[in-house]
Amino acid sequence: MLLKKKRSMEANIPSSSMADIAFLLLIFFLVATVIDVDTGIGLTLPEYVPPEEIEDVKVDPDRMASILINENNDVLLGGEPISLFQIKNTLKPRIISKIDLPKNKKLIVSLKTDRKTVYSAYISALDQIKMAFFEVRDEYSNSRFGTKYDDLSEETQKEVKDAIPIIISLAEPEMVK
Amino acid sequence: MKFEKKRSSVKQEIPTASMPDIIFMLLLFFMVTTTMREVEVLVDYKLPDAEALEKIENKRLVSYIWIGKSGRIQINDSIVKVDDIQNIMYSKRQELPSIIVSLRVHIGADMGLVTDVQQELRKAYCLRINYSANIKI
Repeated sequence: MLLKKKRSMEANIPSSSMADIAFLLLIFFLVATVIDVDTGIGLTLPEYVPPEEIEDVKVDPDRMASILINENNDVLLGGEPISLFQIKNTLKPRIISKIDLPKNKKLIVSLKTDRKTVYSAYISALDQIKMAFFEVRDEYSNSRFGTKYDDLSEETQKEVKDAIPIIISLAEPEMVK
Repeated sequence: MKFEKKRSSVKQEIPTASMPDIIFMLLLFFMVTTTMREVEVLVDYKLPDAEALEKIENKRLVSYIWIGKSGRIQINDSIVKVDDIQNIMYSKRQELPSIIVSLRVHIGADMGLVTDVQQELRKAYCLRINYSANIKI
């Protein structure tokens, strides 16, 4: 008997359309992707302390820059009424004067608002404070290392950070009695 | 004189065999970078402008709280009350210990409400926050 070898049929999956299918998927994900980076003003809140346990810590008044914004968006900085956009330039010399002081003598900016203060005024004030700190950092690293703060290496960045820490204190909301 | 165009005998073809691979690579990139969960925002809000902005590097850590024009607060897909924020955020923080809370607050909102929300966040130990703002041009 003659054994005939069966001719195997070549089984092929047509792959010519694979590229098209991949393109289709690609277009879907291209459209669905949102590559917008979230931007905003970062802040770290203090831990919650129950009102009974709040202790008053005395701080040297020279260290404090207290900013108060009332419901008409008027700003008081350390008792002096100023405009919202003067905050940066008023704070900058005070930050600079404290660069060489030890860690526990750096400037603390305290920000307090009224319950009826408009949010945008608060953000503008916070923006001004942050900008004051950022500009001082930039100037300091420019004079010491010759580059902007953002271009420094991590260690030198830390050094600048230690010299000019951003300390913003949000005042404890007052209880309505 | 007879002019004759010189044609190279070499076949000119762009190899297309690797095209699917390249497309797949692109596809994979977009698949990885896509964040599918787009929450339907139920409150009406307009973000303030600011200059001293920071970028949030890690989007997966971010959780949003919206505060709208009418003073309504939205977390995830639903409108919540101020008293509920602590519980919701606390359970979120347990899943993601280094959570960043991005506050998307309407320009004209009252600070009283924002302060209340912040107090709740402090109680829930979600201490890293970010006031969402647009770049001032």
